Amino acid sequence: MASVSDMYDVTWEEMRDKLRKWRDENYRNSEQIVEVGEELIQEHASKLGDDVWIIYEQVMIAALDCSRDDLATTCLHELQKQFQGSHRVKRLAGMRLEALERYDEAFKMYNDILQDDSTNTAARKRKIAILKAQGKSTEAIRELNEYLEQFVGDQEAWHELAELYINEHDYAKAAFSLEELMMTNPHNHLYCEQYAEVKYTQGGIENLELSRKYFAQALKLNNRNMRALFGLYMSASHIGASPKASAKVKKDNVKYAAWAASQINRAYQLAGHGTKETKCSLKAVEEMLESMQIMPS
Amino acid sequence: MNFQGFIHLIFLSISHRPMAEPELLLDSNIRLWVILPIVFITFLVGVIRHYVSILLQSDKKLTLEQVSDSQVLIRSRILRENGKYIPKQSFLMRKFFFNNQDDGFFKKTKRKVIPPSPMTDPSMLTDMIKGNVTNVLPMLLIGGWINWTFSGFVTTKVPFPLTLRFKPMLQQGIELLTLDASWVSSASWYFLNVFGLRSMYSLILGQDNGADQSRIMQEQMSGAAMAMPADTNKAFKAEWEALELTDHQWALEGLEEELMSKDLDLDNMFSSELPTGIF
Repeated sequence: MASVSDMYDVTWEEMRDKLRKWRDENYRNSEQIVEVGEELIQEHASKLGDDVWIIYEQVMIAALDCSRDDLATTCLHELQKQFQGSHRVKRLAGMRLEALERYDEAFKMYNDILQDDSTNTAARKRKIAILKAQGKSTEAIRELNEYLEQFVGDQEAWHELAELYINEHDYAKAAFSLEELMMTNPHNHLYCEQYAEVKYTQGGIENLELSRKYFAQALKLNNRNMRALFGLYMSASHIGASPKASAKVKKDNVKYAAWAASQINRAYQLAGHGTKETKCSLKAVEEMLESMQIMPS
Repeated sequence: MNFQGFIHLIFLSISHRPMAEPELLLDSNIRLWVILPIVFITFLVGVIRHYVSILLQSDKKLTLEQVSDSQVLIRSRILRENGKYIPKQSFLMRKFFFNNQDDGFFKKTKRKVIPPSPMTDPSMLTDMIKGNVTNVLPMLLIGGWINWTFSGFVTTKVPFPLTLRFKPMLQQGIELLTLDASWVSSASWYFLNVFGLRSMYSLILGQDNGADQSRIMQEQMSGAAMAMPADTNKAFKAEWEALELTDHQWALEGLEEELMSKDLDLDNMFSSELPTGIF
């Protein structure tokens, strides 16, 4: 197998910097991390200096994702040699046991960490992850709620809770969790959009109005969010077609839906830049928009 | 090093000048043997202080309750500041949860508060002693030693004019009545260094280093004004009041009109370049 540095013609410094970028931006491209990281630690471990330890951690987690237990064990041994008795390394050992589906041993390991240090959030979150992996969603939700009572500020946990509730079709509570996220990150268009989708799924005139508002907010924060644009079109046309809406509300919503449709057409026109394929896809979009028109029943 | 020789030289140069504005010509040996050594000494002492503070650092263990309380306060603050981004109903629900008359969180939770004065809390006492030993003591000792060693002559001139009030402070050991207050002794050069080398420390030791004395002194002063963790009850009460006062002004009120007044900005949405491979 050709090495990464030969294939892409890069130096070890560039590989190290790429790993750092992936680390900082929380990427989960595990296969790429394993490819680049494995070569880095095998060939250039001595040149990395103190960086090598955090790279070991990053590569180990990626290796667990790719079922590379051999690589994960190597990394874990190096870390255990260097940092004996560290909680962070112990958590990694627990994660490896989880990957091998030895959940009881992993559970015991995390409990040990928590006995030593009750404020260790990482161990608590891994315990909840075990429950989720075993398919015990109701218990996972209950544990996660208890965790969040103590650590109200943990945004990752709120997002996980929202996802769990959506899977359980408990949309009201999912909306609550997403509201927490929207409050702490008011400029993140993705949270607004997800919240709007949950509201749209809940249904009912008020929720549809809210969802339309939040799709619009997501669009305002990021003009290019196509999903929000479609959502705006759908929610507006849904309200416009509903028998319970007043005449003024219907008129407004039909106007909003028309605007959204025109923007969608514009976007698709820009996508193709006037090639022959564009004309076909434009026609497809128009037909689709027509078919999505919800007729009053 | 003949310090007396320096003084002679100064007197010589003064006597050849008009008395009104003595332009002193300092021996260049002063530069070599006084200014540079003081810079080195200050710098090395700072670095040593940094490593000593790392060695003496005690682990601060926070209890679960403290962490939890600080996060609750943050959440309440966020609710006050960003509550306008969530629907009115949700905002009221949360406000009710915190501030409800009978069982709102801020009304209900009373924390047992032991104000951590140095007497009752032994770890605070040791921290205070360690802080004093590492920072104040070396400064006094070295300042005094420099004053004693490099005494009796003028080291440098500050570029701005000073009033006569500063003379006894900055010209320790030089008894010349007519000397401009801008000419300072080596002790003041030492203190100048202590504060000036701060940026050097952050360059070499990284941010947040233990050699940064002025920052530590600032923290001591502002710490007296804040005194946060002791008064969780007071903090809760303050948050309760602040939250009572907040109203919900929905930020999304006229949103659709504003959004649809113009076309969406779809420039550069579809770029022809796609990333290929890892690099």
